[in-house]
Amino acid sequence: MRLVRCFAAAVIAVGLGLAGASVSLESAQAQKRGGTLVQITQPEPPSLGSYISTANPVGQVSSKIYDGLLEYDFDLKPLPSLAESWTISDDGKTVTFRLRSGVKFHDGSPFTSADVQFTFMEVLKKVHPRGINTFAEVTAVETPDPQTVVFRLNRPAPYMMSALSGYESPILPRHVFSQGDIRTHQNANSPIGTGPFKFVEWRRGEFVRLDRNADYWKPGLPYLDRIVVRFIGDTGTRAAALEKGEAHVAGFGAVPYNDVKKLEKLPNIQIVTRGYEMLSPVVELMFNTKKAPFDNAKVRQAISYAIDRKFVIDNIWFGFGKPTSGPISSNFAPTGLYSANVTDYNVPDGVERANRLLDEAGFPRKADGTRFEITHDITPYGEEWRRFGEYTQQALAKIGIKANVRYEDVATWLKRIYTDYDYDMSSNHLFNLADPVLGVHRGFHSRFVRPGTVFVNGVRWSDPRSDDLMDRATIEPDPKKRAELYAEVQKIVVDAAPLAWTHEISFATVVDKRYRDVIMSPLGMFSSFDRAWRE
Amino acid sequence: MRGGKLIRYILMRLLQAVPVVLGVVVLNFLLLQLAPGDAATVLAGEAGGAPPEYVEQLRSRFGLDKPVLVQLVVYLKNILLLDLGFSFRNNAPVLGLILDRLWPTLLLMGATLIVSVGGGVTLGVLAAIWVRTWRDHLISVVAVVAYATPLFWVGLMLILVFSIRLDWFPTSGMEDVVAFNEGWKRVVDIAHHLVLPTVTLSLFYLALYARLMRATVLEQRGAEYATTARAKGLTERAITLRHVLRNALLPIVTMAGVQVGALLGGSVVVETVFAWPGLGQLAFQSLFARDFNLLLGIFFLSACVVVLVNLVVDVIYVLLDPRIRVGGNT
Repeated sequence: MRLVRCFAAAVIAVGLGLAGASVSLESAQAQKRGGTLVQITQPEPPSLGSYISTANPVGQVSSKIYDGLLEYDFDLKPLPSLAESWTISDDGKTVTFRLRSGVKFHDGSPFTSADVQFTFMEVLKKVHPRGINTFAEVTAVETPDPQTVVFRLNRPAPYMMSALSGYESPILPRHVFSQGDIRTHQNANSPIGTGPFKFVEWRRGEFVRLDRNADYWKPGLPYLDRIVVRFIGDTGTRAAALEKGEAHVAGFGAVPYNDVKKLEKLPNIQIVTRGYEMLSPVVELMFNTKKAPFDNAKVRQAISYAIDRKFVIDNIWFGFGKPTSGPISSNFAPTGLYSANVTDYNVPDGVERANRLLDEAGFPRKADGTRFEITHDITPYGEEWRRFGEYTQQALAKIGIKANVRYEDVATWLKRIYTDYDYDMSSNHLFNLADPVLGVHRGFHSRFVRPGTVFVNGVRWSDPRSDDLMDRATIEPDPKKRAELYAEVQKIVVDAAPLAWTHEISFATVVDKRYRDVIMSPLGMFSSFDRAWRE
Repeated sequence: MRGGKLIRYILMRLLQAVPVVLGVVVLNFLLLQLAPGDAATVLAGEAGGAPPEYVEQLRSRFGLDKPVLVQLVVYLKNILLLDLGFSFRNNAPVLGLILDRLWPTLLLMGATLIVSVGGGVTLGVLAAIWVRTWRDHLISVVAVVAYATPLFWVGLMLILVFSIRLDWFPTSGMEDVVAFNEGWKRVVDIAHHLVLPTVTLSLFYLALYARLMRATVLEQRGAEYATTARAKGLTERAITLRHVLRNALLPIVTMAGVQVGALLGGSVVVETVFAWPGLGQLAFQSLFARDFNLLLGIFFLSACVVVLVNLVVDVIYVLLDPRIRVGGNT
């Protein structure tokens, strides 16, 4: 037994040597069919209905089962998927998709324009948490023939073209999901799509099993025979399963950064930071801007200056991040929507500037060295957030603000921040998603001051200038003019600082080196894995 | 005569259990109302930036827009009809969700009970026989260490040593999800996966039983019936095994009854570390998701099991010790 293993190791070593010698040929190397990929998803998804729940773990599973009209490359440019081609009218109010023919759902029935119409008009527009907004301008989806769909829009919606992946807008079979109530549909948990993998079984608390779709419309794909998504509640055990090769891929925070650093040193493990470009989380400190002293812009700016971004990234996020001052992620640089021309809060003399601003704002240091006392609510998302909260407490102490930290569970914290507004300061990270309209506006557009709705404008910021610019950018079809509008938005909100944006997070995906071409899309763990293969 | 009385006693106890369980249900229901936030908030939270219409939709679908008392009455009515309700979060009936988890839970519970009671009793008796020798001290020290070590640490260390270093056991899960074995191979595979979690979960109670058994055996050996036996000329070994052991088992039975209750929901840590698909993890997750229908269902089931186990313990008493009689008027 031991001998056999040594021999196997030798063979692998030789194989690695060869691979090293022919790195440039890697992509040309023949991909092999077969093999099971074990994916770790944490926590277990509550359901598999990605058309009604955008919870992270749901998307990690369902994106293998459902296709979208489009896919995207790493520059966020759309690629054909179920739609072979598309045209947008000059006024931006008509979008026509030519659909692929010969595509079959997992139950054998053909995919047609009627399925697309049903999916958008009856499902995504009505029950998808983000779709309600994204497709608000869509008034009708017409089906002149089985291979053509025409979207009629009330006003142009350029962001819509970024929201058509199988993760964000999964295409459902009409004949299945039109029966009964979509909200409690029995097929939510036994999904039927057109994607590369078919749903086989979900044993709760253990795994979801997905088998290869032999009739997949991409010839020869997928390479893998099976994907098994496992649910392991303990961080240490997740790392152990990856180390031992029992599991092969884990993304987002499934493996904490300190374990990522340890796993990185193992010969069988590769760390990938690509594959989050269409999500782009940006960390922000939230201020209750309707409440003193945070109604004072100078106080907010001072706190933003006091945060040492580099220290936070290096020591709390183990280097997986990038300093920033503004709300839009630098991942949008290729599309021109990101602007670096904003107030830079990440400066070496930040603490001095902060102290000066607080003096000017009328909060001089008292005899005990403090200016005022606040409560800082720590984001209840785990280790690094706790550390970040403690760091914030110390950073505030340096500029004379005494912060008491409070730690609650997720539901309690959400209610406090987004329903009761009963807080001084907190932190969070909002995903930019595929377009600022989808992911950025909600953070500080006054339309998103909505008590009871979470992950929106919890700071209750309202500024007619930035609202107007964002409204114009929403319907501006010309990419260049859109970029100009967003540059202005970024300048205004970064200066007013209703939130202090501190850094972009890079998630780390842990991949077993025997598996190749796993992360091939800006949606990463939310992509279909159709090209992944095992050596 | 005695058999008939016993059956009547059991029926009486079962009847008495109904108001107890209902009381537990009402109390649980009201206690859970104290937790801030509701299932709609959490679901919308996971969705990320859901519009208020969506949250309102969820609330009315879950029946959360009704007054608490109305919700309670509806829930009680359903419980009486043995309808545990629907878990909106999981989009599945509560009963099915619980039953899916029941057999892994029972498997782990059964294996743990056998190992901890068997091992604990054996070690305790041995320690009592070897009292005040180095072997007794060794057993006591090991028991104290096992008693004091946190479970999650033991679990992770076992994984590190026996799974990663020695490669004897899988790290986690209930079966091999790459092979998907069937028939006997699957039974062997599950047994293989069962070893580490059982050992981890058993350690604490094994230590407890060992210490309890040692103390009781030593105490019973000083009892009058033991002296009588000794006067009859029986060997110490025979006295311990035939007379003392039976009497010393009584507190162990009580303890095992308590352990069953604790195991049902209290193995969260071990289930999490070994990714074992048991009820403990389900309860834990549903608490954080404010999935109260599911949580109440688990509580209801646990209450029933605890009541039943108490009854079984009392019956075992009667069988073990003829001096104990059933019924109020002796």
